[in-house]
Amino acid sequence: MQQNEGLLDSVILRKKILAFWHNRHVSSYQLELGLLLTPFLLGTAVLLLLPMLLTIFLAFTSYNAFTPPQWNGLQNFITIFQRDVFWIAVRNSLVYVSFSAPLQLLGALLLALLLYHQRYGVREYRIAAFLPSVIPEVAYALIWLWIFNPLYGPLNKLLGWVGLPEQAWLVNTATALPSLIFMSCFRLGEGMFVLIAALQGIPPAYFQAAALDGGSRWQILRHIILPLLTPWLLLLLLRDILLSTQSSFAPVYMMTEGGPGYATMLLPYLIYDEAFSHFRLGHAASMLLVMFVVMGILLWLVYRLLGGWGYTDEI
Amino acid sequence: MSRQQVLFFSLLVAFLAACTTIQAPTSPVAEEGAVFTELTFLISGDPTDQTAYQTLIDAFSTEHTDISINLINIPSGGDFRKRLAADFAAGTPPDVFLINYRHLGHFFAANAVEPLTDYLAASTLIRTDDYYAEALTAFQWQGKQMCMPQNISSPVVYYNKDLFNAAGIAYPSDDWHWDEFVTTAQALTQDQDGDGTADIYGLGMEATIVRAAPFIWMNGGEILDDEAAPAGLALDSPESKAALAWFVGLQTEHHVVPNAVAEEAESSLSRFVNGRMAMFVDSRRAVPEFRLIESFDWDVAALPVSQQRASVLHSDAFCMAAAGQQQDATWAFIEFASGVEGQTILAQTGRTVPSRKALAESESFLDPNAKPANSRVFLDAVPGMRHLPLMATWSDIEGIVSKHIENAFYGIETVDEAIEAANQQSAEFFPVP
Amino acid sequence: MKSSFLESLLWQVAAITITLLFVTPLLWVVTNSLRPVGLPPPRTLEWLPQPLAWSNYSTIFHLIPLGRQIGNSILVSTVGALLTLLTASWAGFAMVQLPKRWQGWLVGLAIILLMVPSAAVWLPRYVIFTLLGLIDTYTALFAPAFMGTKSLYVLMFYWTFRRVPQELFESARLEGASALLIWRRIALPMAHPTALAVLLLTFTHYWSDFVDPLLFIKSEERYTLAVGLRMLQQMAVTNWSLLLAAVMVMTAPVILVYLIMQYFIRNESPLTRLLRG
Repeated sequence: MQQNEGLLDSVILRKKILAFWHNRHVSSYQLELGLLLTPFLLGTAVLLLLPMLLTIFLAFTSYNAFTPPQWNGLQNFITIFQRDVFWIAVRNSLVYVSFSAPLQLLGALLLALLLYHQRYGVREYRIAAFLPSVIPEVAYALIWLWIFNPLYGPLNKLLGWVGLPEQAWLVNTATALPSLIFMSCFRLGEGMFVLIAALQGIPPAYFQAAALDGGSRWQILRHIILPLLTPWLLLLLLRDILLSTQSSFAPVYMMTEGGPGYATMLLPYLIYDEAFSHFRLGHAASMLLVMFVVMGILLWLVYRLLGGWGYTDEI
Repeated sequence: MSRQQVLFFSLLVAFLAACTTIQAPTSPVAEEGAVFTELTFLISGDPTDQTAYQTLIDAFSTEHTDISINLINIPSGGDFRKRLAADFAAGTPPDVFLINYRHLGHFFAANAVEPLTDYLAASTLIRTDDYYAEALTAFQWQGKQMCMPQNISSPVVYYNKDLFNAAGIAYPSDDWHWDEFVTTAQALTQDQDGDGTADIYGLGMEATIVRAAPFIWMNGGEILDDEAAPAGLALDSPESKAALAWFVGLQTEHHVVPNAVAEEAESSLSRFVNGRMAMFVDSRRAVPEFRLIESFDWDVAALPVSQQRASVLHSDAFCMAAAGQQQDATWAFIEFASGVEGQTILAQTGRTVPSRKALAESESFLDPNAKPANSRVFLDAVPGMRHLPLMATWSDIEGIVSKHIENAFYGIETVDEAIEAANQQSAEFFPVP
Repeated sequence: MKSSFLESLLWQVAAITITLLFVTPLLWVVTNSLRPVGLPPPRTLEWLPQPLAWSNYSTIFHLIPLGRQIGNSILVSTVGALLTLLTASWAGFAMVQLPKRWQGWLVGLAIILLMVPSAAVWLPRYVIFTLLGLIDTYTALFAPAFMGTKSLYVLMFYWTFRRVPQELFESARLEGASALLIWRRIALPMAHPTALAVLLLTFTHYWSDFVDPLLFIKSEERYTLAVGLRMLQQMAVTNWSLLLAAVMVMTAPVILVYLIMQYFIRNESPLTRLLRG
């Protein structure tokens, strides 16, 4: 009997719990959703937000990874600002990004204009144009190191075959950085696809109306296509500028190590060298900070300059 | 199984794989029962080196069955130093590592290396008197012997006998002068197809301070203003500058060395090995690779001299990490490697000039049947031998100076500009007086 | 607009010329990777070396532990891709069902995170991984997968799930299904194209990753292919045939994956294309 009562109690208890559970079900579901979201949020906090805060902190410390970081105020910035190499790297990085980002964009735009129509073979042409963009960056750097080889590389052989003067490419201080910019211009596949999609999104009515008005191709491009593409172009340009901080590392590391002289010394490589060859992590962090301030200013300038240009919602 | 199930299970497997890799870092599995010491030994070398050190380890293990040594080889010297610094930074240094003295100051200053003075004093197997003092001093820091040098090498002139014969030029003598060196190199530099660039170069020379140093010293110049308490470079003294100008002139003036384009296209080392370069300056380490050459005969000669004889020490030493947990076992290995048997094994590769005096004078090194026939030049260089400065910031200074010597060598800067830039950029790495 | 035959022809010529410009370097690499080792350097432009040395491809496996490195790369890329599929789709799935205000915040956060270049976090991540003892582990390489590798992948799943009628999730929930069950039974099966795209993209991302293994991996036996290529460059500086053969070994799978994506995933949104960067 007592056993039965006990059993009864437990049954009632279970029902009570279930009822409670059922009432709370909505919020428990919310809790489950929160759990599913946790890896993303936690990962972001540990792998992106914390690193950014840590960079800011380390920039004001002396830290060699052997001993704990020590606060030393603005000393890092004073030291790095006194180095010629740092300013050379800032200048080179600005030159690199001011040519490679717009050139990539221009190339992507031209390809998109050529390849957005549905024509025979267009899919294959797009795939071909995208190929350089999928090659892993180490492999890409090695390929171009070979192409640029001043005596045995195919580029100079090709120039010699056509009858043009051969160049020293990466060995000459005047052509080394332009060579790196040149090779970056072929990695424009994503921009091309974004712009093709954007072009395909323009209603055909616009073109027909313009054609009826007797507009030439150039006029249609200048007055209809470009204004409509401007938001996309701006977005891609800002993205290319930001990405140049990471995409310029592997070529410099694999191909030139900053040379000849300091002709291809770019900030990402200089920061890597300072941090991981000399283990002055504090210096490196302050350079990193400066790099992103410079990038921020550049992004802001581009945004102000191009943001207003030609972009009208009314069309 | 449905597709979703397949997907789900593969995800599960991936997740488990991810978790197990997190939980199981590569902890060595100790053999049951036996007290087993596992050491890591970090080196930087080519496959020949790796084989030689593995032989050394195997010989050691037959005597010390309770110690196993895990050899880690990082082929690139730059990557090796990064790896080593990173290991120390992470608190997991190798127990023992083999490293050139030029890159050690930083580790000494950070107290990362265990001094060996006491171990040496207690050792019954090795005595410091048996080693060349020129090699030992390069690894002394604040009066303590920090590491045990394994070799006492120095730069010499490797030359292609066949190219000398073909050009009808006498082989280099043991006391040849700078001028003779240049005229020889000029006579050997040939543009066979008349396209304006040389097909055979007379000389191959790295454009670094390490290579330039003996010539600066031969000319009565110095690298630092004060070896004991350095406050700056001394490359702008007339003697140093003249030596640097001569060194740089080998390329810019005499064009007997490949220019930047030619060097980028094919390294001097490769040109020499392929029989398209008559002379090549390198330390003893080139010997194992050159012994594989079948297409021509070669030998070594001393560096040419000017006012006085001088040479620069190239030496690697076995160092023990201060943070190591198994220092007795580590010492046993260093002791073995520095002993007669250990150094004999390494000398057989041809790569090292033994730092043990008796061994260097023996047939293990001066083997008449092995190339180079004139190995004695390595020993003849010892009396005039100096080492590059030992300071915490030396690797920074060396990097800057070498960079500008290279710039001058390949005509990007004049010698004066290079010295000026080197002075300016290295200033921050000298202690403030 | 009707295009004449002549215009078509001109277009074809232009398109072929330009695509050749993009493809020729890769063709050069393929042919020159087959150039016999030990031949004197070429004097003129060589389109096809004679004879073809297929043995170059086996030689590189003896020169460096390429097989091991390929294995490591496959391991890291596979774990990274599958883990990303989990975390990114979980996050996207959860985001869709949160209150609108939260959704706005999270989408905003994801877009801002998209703008953080990886160069910004190399150094601090090294410090953090050192503290966590993750240096020289595979975990350090696929760690970004815990946050969906890139916030764009989360956004892709979010946008995909938003197109699913929310009533489907709602009714399942009212029947007492847990969030995990709904995700697995309803949400994920409806996001097949997105899932496949994310898998392939993350696989190539981890496969191609160079900087992370360069910074975080120290033991030779854990090197991935990207670092292996660097190792080979150090060892065979002037041996271009071998280097180019190794380049092909690393590049071919990525190109294959890319072609699979092109021919099997259709109806992509323009943003799907963006994610490679």
